[in-house]
Amino acid sequence: MAMKVVALAGNPNVGKTTIFNALTGMRQHVGNWPGVTVEKKEGVFEHRGQRFLVVDLPGTYSLTAHSIDELVARNFLLNGNPDVVVNVVDATSLLRNLYLTMEIFEMGLKNVVIALNKIDLAERKGIKIDVERMARVLGVPVVPLSAKEGKGLEVLKDRIWEVANGLIRENPIVPRYDPEVEREIEHISRVLEGTKLAAKYPLRWLAIKLLQRDAEVMKLVERYLGREGLEEVMTHINEVEERYGKAMDLVIAGQKYEFIDRLTHEFMSYGRPSGDAFTDQLDRLLIHPVYGFIAMALVFYGVFKFVFAFGLPLQEWLSDAFTLLGNWLAPHIANDVLRGLIVDGIIGGVGMVLSFFPLVFLLFLALSFLEDLGYMARVAVLMEGILRKFGLPGKAIIPLILGLGCNVPAVMSARTLDNEKDRLVTMFVNPFIPCSARLSVISFMAALFFGGKSALIAASIYVLAFAVALASAWLVSRFVPGETTPFVIELPEYLIPSGRSLLLHSWERSKEFVQKAGTVILLGAVIIWYLSNYPVPVGTGGSYAERIGHFFEPYMRLMGLDWRAAVSLLFGIIAKENVISTLGVIYGSPEAIRNAMAPLQGYVLTAVTTLYIPCIATIGAIKSEANWKWAAFTTAYMVAVASVVGILIWHLGVAMGLG
Amino acid sequence: MVMNMIVPLSELQPGERGVVVDITGGSTLRSRLYAMGLAPGVVIRVIERYSMGPVVIEAGGTRLAVGKGMASKVLVRKI
Repeated sequence: MAMKVVALAGNPNVGKTTIFNALTGMRQHVGNWPGVTVEKKEGVFEHRGQRFLVVDLPGTYSLTAHSIDELVARNFLLNGNPDVVVNVVDATSLLRNLYLTMEIFEMGLKNVVIALNKIDLAERKGIKIDVERMARVLGVPVVPLSAKEGKGLEVLKDRIWEVANGLIRENPIVPRYDPEVEREIEHISRVLEGTKLAAKYPLRWLAIKLLQRDAEVMKLVERYLGREGLEEVMTHINEVEERYGKAMDLVIAGQKYEFIDRLTHEFMSYGRPSGDAFTDQLDRLLIHPVYGFIAMALVFYGVFKFVFAFGLPLQEWLSDAFTLLGNWLAPHIANDVLRGLIVDGIIGGVGMVLSFFPLVFLLFLALSFLEDLGYMARVAVLMEGILRKFGLPGKAIIPLILGLGCNVPAVMSARTLDNEKDRLVTMFVNPFIPCSARLSVISFMAALFFGGKSALIAASIYVLAFAVALASAWLVSRFVPGETTPFVIELPEYLIPSGRSLLLHSWERSKEFVQKAGTVILLGAVIIWYLSNYPVPVGTGGSYAERIGHFFEPYMRLMGLDWRAAVSLLFGIIAKENVISTLGVIYGSPEAIRNAMAPLQGYVLTAVTTLYIPCIATIGAIKSEANWKWAAFTTAYMVAVASVVGILIWHLGVAMGLG
Repeated sequence: MVMNMIVPLSELQPGERGVVVDITGGSTLRSRLYAMGLAPGVVIRVIERYSMGPVVIEAGGTRLAVGKGMASKVLVRKI
């Protein structure tokens, strides 16, 4: 039997993902919608012998043409021919949630099931909903759910099955507007009636969207009715608006809410109409203009404490395990070349990066916890005023913080931002944020050269990196075309996330790290191994790696460094930890490094390592999230900035007598 | 008299309430605000505001943070 398609639509933060997970379990697939970087999640479940493909639409507040997410959701509802549309609504804020529902109904869909989520929470707040009455008023089945506790799921599956098999005749209610607005809707409908366009889309929906000046529908009208057809309609709308003295979209939105308000009075009664008391109390502290920032600093300090306290031992353990694996394997490989390639190249290189997996996973676990808790939205609010000055939206703080762990998932997380410009700028500056790999370089060098002052020195590198990142954001946002999106964000109520969804969420994100990083790093590890072992091993002066280093030596001299630094930096492109291991190979021991370089040189090398280029995995991530050009530009810009900073620090240092 | 009471949302202090009467500014901005629950006739309460940043409000049981520029385009009648 063919699979039936179920589309899952709803606002962000209503528990759509929880319902998706509960329906499909682990049988899910994450990809992108064709042509855009909007995540597409699909999963499968079976009920009463029928298989269903669940498509999780992007969480949206409405279905306008103003954002990619909304367009993706809308186009799927209009053209994707889903057998059933499950509209997840939040029982604790029905008024706003039904706005999207009304837009879905206006599309003329007659296969909708409403999943009334968080019903337990609503009851606790004193909101009483007569579900049967609600279903009768809305004209579609309504299933009360408490997705967190898994209640109502079987009933939801029953309704989905019934709608998919045509057992329920629906009569969804559509909003009625004031007589004057209705007259205009009718007028435009008449103009469109009988055209090929009207055969493809519901007439009333087209008319309302035109009154709201929906760009995509205007394009459709132009395509089907020609430019004159569109002009005729728009001239009419201009006249209407002049008569009203107000934009029609404003009038329609206001009246839609009035309509919804009247509807809800038929099946809902409020106990206490205000928000959650716990959220109120907590927000008094967490979004306070002064205490909020202190709390934020403490929270992120806690996150890093947690990640490193548990992650570092695991990382060392894994790294030891890979070394043991290499040692165990070595005697079993007879061929010298093959042994070198597998043991030093692949296990040494890829193992080194894979050993960071526990850190990445724990970081995502902590950040997913904060996100699901509702705290990340608060951080975006706190940072909005500051980041906006540098051409970044407040929400960009999330990729920036993630970058401290690993820039690969950080770059990928930029896709949650509202527009292309914000995304590009955020991706562009992200590689400047020192990831955990660079933390290992920074702490190693600081301890080696500065002993007791190492924490201060390490901190100065972080300050430098963030300053460069912000300055670069300020600069580049001036040249990237496109408007900045006005800031508006929902602050969801605080909710302790379920362990299962946390693990699923973190696993999904960190899995991408292993997949994306793993493939490039495998290639990179092989290249390093080849360059440092051919035609003769590194250390003899004749390897390709050393020859490349010597080639760059004149350039490195500008910042007081030599060919050895060039070789280390070259290998650092594959993974930043390589900078230390390469120095180790070339000099032989940490003491030898300290004897060969002045502290100022050590500092310059640390600063340059932090700023000079995104690692290969990050370049790959920027390429796949934006394009090759943007990845190349980011890389070139970083090389330039690192050179300038390196030269400046060296010459300033020498002038101050530190050389 | 009533006209005097109409102010931009950005000028409301924490704790003050108002009814949305008009939203100026581009259609992208307007449609985003409608969908998030900020439309003519809706009662809002200011929770927090930042001198250089957004205004945090409650509207219809939901909390929203609205950027400063955006908040100056939402006109409300104080109540």
